[in-house]
Amino acid sequence: MILGRVVGEVWATKKNPRFQDRKILLVAVLGRNGERHDPTGEVVVALDTIGARYGNVVTVTWGSGARAVFQKPDNRWILADAAISRIVDGTTEESGKGEEVECSWEE
Amino acid sequence: MILGRLIGTVWATRKNPRLENRKLAIVRPYFWYNPSHDIEHVVAVDQVGAEIGQDVLVCVGQPGRWVAGDYRSPIEASIMAIVDRVEIAQRACEDATVPFVLRQDFRPATLEWTP
Repeated sequence: MILGRVVGEVWATKKNPRFQDRKILLVAVLGRNGERHDPTGEVVVALDTIGARYGNVVTVTWGSGARAVFQKPDNRWILADAAISRIVDGTTEESGKGEEVECSWEE
Repeated sequence: MILGRLIGTVWATRKNPRLENRKLAIVRPYFWYNPSHDIEHVVAVDQVGAEIGQDVLVCVGQPGRWVAGDYRSPIEASIMAIVDRVEIAQRACEDATVPFVLRQDFRPATLEWTP
């Protein structure tokens, strides 16, 4: 899973019939930079499952695990390999100096 | 998933029987992010009917294989949608808290900036 911020959206009308009819969002990947999280310049494409909006910090699940976000247990026919699985409220991390730093992502 | 441009097709007469009646397309990713490969292009099974020059979404790995055949198919990527429009919020590039920069050299033809 990766941590990222929603920055945009992709629109498509002609789709594979097994494609889940969900919003397709662009997520800017966040990387650790000292005590801050800054975008690394990379952007990923992921299907939305929980109604994320612009500016939300989210986690993206990759691979077959993304199908499990949509439907269980028979999800072999779902065409998805990246799904937004949660909207992040906050993180707790080790700062590098032996302290724990809490970070709030709520707007 | 990979967002990229369809730049060509592959023709083959001798192939694995599980690839019969499968159209193969060459997709060049926009290099925004490549989860596990650092590659110049992807060959994907096309069941949507995309044409050269269009922007497409490519699904890689097991989900792409199951959709284009079954678990025995020698398939690793399939095209899931033809992209009409890519929107990126202008704020995301101007906002100091979100200073991400897109690569200048290769961008989707359908990219639009929204406020």
